[in-house]
Amino acid sequence: MKADKKMLKSWVRQQNRANRPATMMMALMGMFNVLVGMVLIWSLATILAEWLTGGDRINRYYLLLFILSSVVRVILGYGQELLAMSSGEKARKRLRRELLARFFAQGPALLRHQHSAALAAMLTDRVEALEGYFSRWLPASALWVVAQWSVVLVVFWQNHRAGLILGGCCLFLPVFQAVFGIATAIASRRQILALNRLQVRFLDRIRGIATIVLSGSAEKDAQGLGRAADELRQRTMKVLRIAFLTSASTDVAMIVALVWIVVDQRHGLLHAGSIPQVTSILFAVLMVPEAFAPFRALSAAYQDRAQITNSGEAIQRLPNLPEWAKNEASAHPVPQRKAQGITLDVQGVSYRWVENRPLALDNVSFHLDAGDVALLTGSSGAGKSTLIEMLLGFIRPSQGKVLLGGIDLQDMRPADVTRQISWIGQKPVIFAGTLRDNILFASPDASEEQLQAALEASSVMAYLPHLPDGLDTKLGEGGFGLSGGQAQRIAIARAFLKDAPLLIMDEPTAHLDPATEQEILVSLRDLLKGRTALISTHSSQFHKIGETKRLVIKKGQITAEEVLS
Amino acid sequence: MMLRSLSNVWKGRWARLLVGLLLAEFSVCSVFLLMGQTGSRLGLIAIGGIAGFGLLRLAGASRIILRYLERLATHDATFRVLTDVRLWFYRRLAHGAAAGLGFRRSGDLLSRLVADVQSLDSLYLRILVPLATALFSLPIVILVCLKGSVSLAVCVGIIFCLTAFVLPTFMAKVAYRWGPELQRTQAEMNSQALDLVGGMRELRIFGQEEAIKERFLAAEQAFYKTQQEQGRAMAHVHALSLLLTRLGVICALGGCAGLFFPKEQAVTGITVLFVVMTALDGIVDLPRAGLLYGQVRHAAERVAEAAAMPEGTPPEGNVPAPAGYEIEARNITFGWTDDKIVLKNLSFRLREGERAALIGPSGSGKSSLAALLLKVMSPQKGSITLGGENISVIRTEMLRGKIAWLSQASHLFDDTIRSNLLLGREGVSEDAIWAALEQAQIVDFVRSLPDGLDSWIGENGSHVSGGQGRRIALARVLLSDAPVLILDEPGTGLDMETEKAFLATLNTLDRSRSILLITHRLTGIEQLDHLWTIQDGILTSHAL
Repeated sequence: MKADKKMLKSWVRQQNRANRPATMMMALMGMFNVLVGMVLIWSLATILAEWLTGGDRINRYYLLLFILSSVVRVILGYGQELLAMSSGEKARKRLRRELLARFFAQGPALLRHQHSAALAAMLTDRVEALEGYFSRWLPASALWVVAQWSVVLVVFWQNHRAGLILGGCCLFLPVFQAVFGIATAIASRRQILALNRLQVRFLDRIRGIATIVLSGSAEKDAQGLGRAADELRQRTMKVLRIAFLTSASTDVAMIVALVWIVVDQRHGLLHAGSIPQVTSILFAVLMVPEAFAPFRALSAAYQDRAQITNSGEAIQRLPNLPEWAKNEASAHPVPQRKAQGITLDVQGVSYRWVENRPLALDNVSFHLDAGDVALLTGSSGAGKSTLIEMLLGFIRPSQGKVLLGGIDLQDMRPADVTRQISWIGQKPVIFAGTLRDNILFASPDASEEQLQAALEASSVMAYLPHLPDGLDTKLGEGGFGLSGGQAQRIAIARAFLKDAPLLIMDEPTAHLDPATEQEILVSLRDLLKGRTALISTHSSQFHKIGETKRLVIKKGQITAEEVLS
Repeated sequence: MMLRSLSNVWKGRWARLLVGLLLAEFSVCSVFLLMGQTGSRLGLIAIGGIAGFGLLRLAGASRIILRYLERLATHDATFRVLTDVRLWFYRRLAHGAAAGLGFRRSGDLLSRLVADVQSLDSLYLRILVPLATALFSLPIVILVCLKGSVSLAVCVGIIFCLTAFVLPTFMAKVAYRWGPELQRTQAEMNSQALDLVGGMRELRIFGQEEAIKERFLAAEQAFYKTQQEQGRAMAHVHALSLLLTRLGVICALGGCAGLFFPKEQAVTGITVLFVVMTALDGIVDLPRAGLLYGQVRHAAERVAEAAAMPEGTPPEGNVPAPAGYEIEARNITFGWTDDKIVLKNLSFRLREGERAALIGPSGSGKSSLAALLLKVMSPQKGSITLGGENISVIRTEMLRGKIAWLSQASHLFDDTIRSNLLLGREGVSEDAIWAALEQAQIVDFVRSLPDGLDSWIGENGSHVSGGQGRRIALARVLLSDAPVLILDEPGTGLDMETEKAFLATLNTLDRSRSILLITHRLTGIEQLDHLWTIQDGILTSHAL
C-alpha cells in the first residue's frame, strides 16, 4: 500500500517534470498578468484619487494607461487560454504515446491481466480526464504563492498598514486550510470514491438491466438504487458542510481584509486628503480581490488534481514490464522453414502467472517435426492457453526453452517469431474497416490473385455475394454484423494469406454449431497442408483432421502423448 | 422539447431548487451592498466626511454566511435532482429494456448515456443559478447607475446584456453545433482504441502494431482538431466578454469623471463605479455557462431519446398469473421487423414438468422464441398461453416470476455472489443457495473463496473466469422459484466435462419444473420428453 503510494507519487512527479516548460510558460504569463493588473489598478486609483480630492479634469495620462493596461490584460488572458489549451493537448498526447509504448512493450499478455475495455479506457478517457490537471492545476499551483505575495508586497510598499492587514489575512489562508482542509481532505476523498462507486453501480445496473427486468425485479432494484443514492447524499452533505467552510474561509479572509482596510484607513486620512495618500488607500482596497484571485483559481482547479490520482492509480495497476522486454538481445537469428513446415521443440518449460499461485505450466516438453499436426486437449484452466501464448512469444518461460526451427525463441526478435506463426483463436477480432482491409491486414502487400486464392480457400467466397458491398462491406463496431462462422472464415483467410510454417489454433470452433464446425473443418484441413500445427480443442470433430499426435494436458503437465502414424 | 420531460422530473423538487436560487440572489445582493459600501465609505473618507461602518460590516458578514448557505442549498438540491433523474431514467429504460435494448446497445453507448445523465446536474448548478443571478443583478445595477445618470444606465445595461445574455446564447449555439462532430471524432478515437487493445494478439501476430497505432493517433488528431476549433471559439468569445466588461468599467469611470453627471456627487460616483465593477466581474464567465448549455442540451436529447418508449412493447396486462404452467404456442409468426420473419407458423406444447430441447443453428430464431415467451415482444400472428391464459393479458412482472431465463447475455453485477444470486429477493435460505450452487457445479469454487457467498465478483464478473461466471448465472436461474426454466446455451464457456456434469444434474432435478433447453447441439446426456429442431423459422418435432 505504502509502496504503491510512493510509486504513484513518483509517477506524478515525473508527469509534472515532463510538463514543466509549459507550466513555467503559463505561470510566467500569469505573473505578467498580475503585474499588468497592478498597473491597471494603480492608474485607476490615481484617477479616482485626483477626482475625489477635487481635481478638475480627469488625468488623461492615467486614463490612457488604464485603457492600455485593460487591453493588455484582455490580450494576456486570451493568450493564456490558448496556451493552456495547447499545452493540455500536448501533455495528453505525450502521455498517450507513453502508454502506447508501454502496451506494445508488454504485448498481448497484458490482456491476461486486465480487461480490454479497461485498457482502452486508459488510453482514452483516463488520459482525457487529465486535461484540466495540465492546463489549469499545474500553472495555478506554480503561480499562486508568488502571485499572492507579490501583490501583498506591492501593497505594503504603497501603504504599510494596509499591506500588513492584507498579509495577515493571506497568512490565515493556510491556517484555515489546515484546520478545515486536512479533516475534510480525507473524508472528501472517500466521498468522491463513494460518489464514483454509485456512478459505477448505476452504470452496472443499466448494463444488466435486461437481466433484472426479465427476472421481474426492476422496481425493487430501482428502490434499492434510490435508497443508496439518498444515503450517499446525506453522507456527502455532512462532508460538504465542513468542506464548504474551507471555501468560506477564503471569503472570510478576503472580506475581513477589505473591511478592515477600509475601516482602518480613516485614521490615516482624517487630516490629510493629499492625492498620493488617497491613491494608496484606493490602491490597497482595489488590490484585495487581486491578492486572492490566484488562490481562487487554485481552488477552482482542485477537482482536476483528483483526476491525476485516479488515472495514476489505474496506470500503476498495469503489470510491471518483464525484464526481457527492457533489453534486446544482440544477435537475431531467423529460423529456416522446410517444405513440410517447421520443427517445434518444447523443452521442460514452466510458467506461473501470479506469484504464490500454482504453476500454470509445469515442466512441459514435447516435440513436433515439420508437418506434424498435434491435438492438444485438456479441461479449461489446465494450461492450454498459457502454452499457446508462450509459443506465440507473448510470455517467456521461467524455466526451460522453446525452440522454433532449432532456434530459441528468446534469441529471436518478437517480430521474427510471429513471422513464422499463424494463429486462429476462438473469436477473431474484426477491426473497424472493410472486409478487404480485415483480410489484407495479414499481409498488406499481397496481390489481388493471392487475395482471391485466400478467399477461395477459406470459403469466404461462399458468403461474399450475400454481403451488401462485397469485399468493401464495412465491418466492426457499427458495421455489418458477421456470424461466428463467417468471422472465423476471415481468420482462416488471414492465415492462408500469411502463409506461415507454424499454425496454432486455440479452440477455433468453440463458438460454432456442429454444421458450421463441419464446414470450417474442411477449410482448416486445406490450411494444414505443408505446415506444422498445434490445435487446442474440446471438440471430437477434430479427431479426423489428419493429426499425427495427441497431447493431453492436466494441471500444467502433459499427462499423455500418443503418436499416430 | 426534450428538456420538458426533464423539467417534469425536476418539478418534485421545486421548493428546494427555489430556495437555492433565492439564497444565490440574496448572496449577490450582499456583494453589491458590500462593494457599494466600500466605495461610498472610501469616498466619504477621502472628502473628509464622517462615515459609519455598520452597514459595511453587516454586508461583509452576510455575504460570508449567505454564500455558505447558498453552496449547501444548491448542492443538496442538485444531488436530490440527480437521484430523481437517475431513477426516472432507470425506470424508463426498464420498460424499454424488455424490448431488447439491453441487447442492442453496446456497452460503450450505455456508459456514455450514464455520463450524460450525470452531466445534467450542471444544468441547475452551473447554468440556471448563474443565469438567474445575472438576471437579478441587472435591475440592481441599472437602479444604481440611474443614481448617476440615465445615459450611464443605458450604456452599462447594454454592455451587461451583451455579456450576460447575448454572448452566452451565441456560445450555446456554437457548442450545440460542434457537439455532434466532437462526439463523432471522440467515438472514432475510442473505437480505434478498442480495436488496438482488443486486437493486440492479431496485431502482434500479423505485424500490424505500427499500422494500427498510426490509425489510432490519426483519430486522436482529428478529435483534437475539432476540440481546438471549439476551444478557439470559446477563447474568442471569452476575450470579447472580458473586453466588454472593461468597456463597462471605462463607461463608469467616465461617469465619475463628470462625463455623465456633475462631479460634486463624488461619493455617488465612486459607489456606482464599485457596483458596476462587481456586477461585470460576476458575469464575465457566463459565456462558459453558455458553452456548457450547448453540451448539456445534446446530453439531455440523448437521454430523452433513450428513455422514450420503444415501439412494439407488449401491453402490461392485468390478469394475475394462473397456477398452472403448461405452455402452449399456437401458430406463431414473428419477426423483429415486419420484413424479416424469423419464426413461421410455429406451434408446440410443453406440459408441466416436461423437458424439451430446441436445437438449431445460430440465427435460426431460438432466442426470439424465448423473447416471445417472456413477453419481451409480441408475435405478429398466433398466441402463447401459460396455464391456459394468454400471456398478453398476464401481468408482465408475474409472468416473468413464472419463467426464469438464462440468456447468453445474462449479466453479472459488480456485487457479491449472494446479491448476484438473489437479485433483490428476500427470505431465501442459505441451504437453498448452496443447493443451487451445487446443481450449477460451482459449489467448490465458492467454498474455496475466503469470503464465500459474500465475495465480490467484480465488474461484469471480472474476478471470476468466464466459465465460473456462467455457472453463477446458472445457479441464479436454478435458485429462482419459477416453475419454468429456459436455458439458452447453458454450455457456453464451459468445458465439455463441466457441461456434461451440469446436464446430468438437470436430469436429477425435481420433476415439478419444466425445462426448455435451447442449444446448437446435444451431448447425449440430456433426458428429454421432446426434441424440436428449428430451421429457417420452421419448427419440427422429432421422435425420441
